[in-house]
Amino acid sequence: MYRWFLSWRYLVTRRTNFIGITGITVAVGALIMILSIMTGFLVEARAMLRGGLSDVIVTPALFAGQGVPRTPHPALEVIRSDDRVKAATARLTWWGLLAGAGSSAARSAAILNDSQADGLNAVQLIGVDIGTRERASQFGVRNFLTLMGFDWTPPRLQGEFETTELLADLQREPHPWRRGAPVANPYLPFQAPPGFMRAGRQLGFVIVGEQLFTTLGLKQGGELKVLTVVPDPVSGELVTNDRDYIVAGTFRSGENDVDIGRIYMDRLELWDLLGRQHTYSEILIRLNDFDRDGSAVQHDLVRELGERGLIVPVDHDPHTAASQVRTWEDFRQVMLSAIENERVLLGIMLSLILVVASFTIFAILTMMVTEKRRDIGILTAVGASPRGLLFTFLTIGFWNALLGTGFGALFGILGATYINEIESELSSLLGIEIFNRNVYIFDTIPAVLDPVAIIAIVAGAFSVTLLFAAIPAWRAARLDPIVALRYE
Amino acid sequence: MQDPTAHGAAGSDPTGPDPTGSDPYGQGAFGSTAPVSAGFALPLETDPRSKPAKPRGAGPLLSARGIQKSYAIGERKIEILHGVDLDLAHGESVALVGASGAGKSTLLHVLGLLDRPSAGTVELGGVDTWKLSPTQRSALRNGQIGFVFQFYHLLPELTAIENVLLPAMISNSTAGFRRRRAGLRQRATEMLEAFGLGQRLKHRPGQLSGGERQRVAIARALFNDPPLIIADEPTGNLDTQTGEDVLELLFAEHRRLGFSLLMVTHDERVASRCSRALEMVDGRLLTRR
Ligand SMILES: Nc1ncnc2c1ncn2[C@@H]1O[C@H](COP(=O)(O)OP(=O)(O)O)[C@@H](O)[C@H]1O
Ligand SMILES: [Mg+2]
Repeated sequence: MYRWFLSWRYLVTRRTNFIGITGITVAVGALIMILSIMTGFLVEARAMLRGGLSDVIVTPALFAGQGVPRTPHPALEVIRSDDRVKAATARLTWWGLLAGAGSSAARSAAILNDSQADGLNAVQLIGVDIGTRERASQFGVRNFLTLMGFDWTPPRLQGEFETTELLADLQREPHPWRRGAPVANPYLPFQAPPGFMRAGRQLGFVIVGEQLFTTLGLKQGGELKVLTVVPDPVSGELVTNDRDYIVAGTFRSGENDVDIGRIYMDRLELWDLLGRQHTYSEILIRLNDFDRDGSAVQHDLVRELGERGLIVPVDHDPHTAASQVRTWEDFRQVMLSAIENERVLLGIMLSLILVVASFTIFAILTMMVTEKRRDIGILTAVGASPRGLLFTFLTIGFWNALLGTGFGALFGILGATYINEIESELSSLLGIEIFNRNVYIFDTIPAVLDPVAIIAIVAGAFSVTLLFAAIPAWRAARLDPIVALRYE
Repeated sequence: MQDPTAHGAAGSDPTGPDPTGSDPYGQGAFGSTAPVSAGFALPLETDPRSKPAKPRGAGPLLSARGIQKSYAIGERKIEILHGVDLDLAHGESVALVGASGAGKSTLLHVLGLLDRPSAGTVELGGVDTWKLSPTQRSALRNGQIGFVFQFYHLLPELTAIENVLLPAMISNSTAGFRRRRAGLRQRATEMLEAFGLGQRLKHRPGQLSGGERQRVAIARALFNDPPLIIADEPTGNLDTQTGEDVLELLFAEHRRLGFSLLMVTHDERVASRCSRALEMVDGRLLTRR
């Protein structure tokens, strides 16, 4: 029994042990905290990277002249009949140039005069399938049902809103420093803003990214000129088109390049601007369970849509066929790999902290074995076996590991849980802002406690410490007792 | 089993010295689980107190033959012991004298199973000890041999009573020690009280005088009731009067308990109190008396 008794006595009478325990506590605690925060950041970053991307995006090689149907309905029918699909919607995208407020003459001059090019913005034009006039009645029904306590979104709206984050972008609070102008009814964004007086001309409505809106000095209800270049359906030559729209309001995604480079309008409105040639350029799909079905659905759609001639079929050109159906991960492959890489690297780097902390135990125990040479001789004389001595010193390592990892796990978990409280306390104490909320999209420090990671850290720290303790313990067992006993 | 409280003050025990070498240790006397079967009683986990009882079978307690010990210093080999033969009967007391550096301590370490001889055998109770495993030898040291050193050699982090309990802590499992703890502590307390250390139970060695430390060391050596006590100049570090007192105590316990005593001393008067005296000269043993 002396093993437990003595190891505990040596532990509490030697201050150096507390340095070792503190070292492990700090290492394990920091590791858990940092990993939790990193996991939180990575989860958020993944969500950010995904942004408004749908699970699966079908982009038929429409403009390559493969004879693909011009309306999205046959493809949508096929896609929606799949049980794994939650929602699907068609989109039309194109590129255009924007000119803000001011006379069109001044803007035309700006086009010609390169030095004034910052008055023009290249933007992505996105025609979405929300429907305006024809869906207003559906919306009326929805309002009525909501009043009655039912939650019902019209199917067509549901498609667009389910597959993208557009609804959230329309509802997000404007950025405090910018001039946002949220639409009155996010379910029907392409409508005249409150108090808008129609001045004779029948113009379409657009929703502009908040930052673009600010940069161009636009006004809600004001006019906006959109210029595009499209191939002439008859001659095939490129012609410019321009048209005025009314700014119905703004959206805010939180992603800078989206908020400055995108405007939304009704799909049929855009179809009209582009010379009524193509009704859609992509179909966005949301699945019930992307992680489970993502790649299977992707594979099935390539085959099914190809067989029906809705996209370029596999037997025609396998490479093009496959590239027409992509998951969101395909779009962000490089970034996702980078994140994954970073996580692995971080794990390796942080494990080094653990090794260093465990190494202090090695140093402390080695010191103790040297210091306790005489005790080891005495214990041998009184009848302790080499094995007993080995276990005695190993047990000191065990106490160090147990207390260190125990306290470390406790502090780590508490620290990760109350990281925001700790941050605000520290910030006010030090008078500096530690977590700059303007740099990140998140308002709080995200921390995700992963039980598997915590168990792995604790178990790893524990076994590495024991492993390091084993070396001096083994030395203690092999010491010659005589040398220690001969002299005082 | 004798009541543990029966441990009286030194010298008060009516059992006198035991010149016949009868065995004062009954079967199952030692708190050890040594896996060796020897001529003497082995090891049950019991309170290691028993009445001096039946004599042991013939043959010496300790028997060393042809002990040689040499140290290699670089290329050179220094031989300290040149073939030592020694028999130690049950219950006898033997004084070992000799010049400093003659090899007395070296011999005691070999006989005490702490140091392996270069040649020769050490039998304890008929068992060839250096043929045993290290763990078995440790168990023998724990149950059969008590050491008293010149420099006391107490563990500095332990109190006096914990130092005395150390042999029992080593021989008992955690559960076994817990079961017997009250009895063992009482026995250690009574021993220390009998040795005049009743007020010093909770003191660390650093808070004790030399004489007090040596008395704690003697209590520790005796705690598992070993049949053999090896003492290497037990008074070498004490002033004359304190040394006298400590020796008085040791001889009184020897008379009372009947263990075999092998003691290195420089004091002729002390040597004369032992039943035999041997002299070590240049690594060989000569019989003085
Ligand atoms: N580890 C060792 N290496 C070399 N020589 C040693 C060692 N230990 C002891 N000696 C030598 O052995 C001799 C005997 O020592 P020792 O047994 O302590 O003598 P004594 O106890 O009789 O004074 C001494 O000369 C000592 O220097
Ligand atoms: Mg000596």
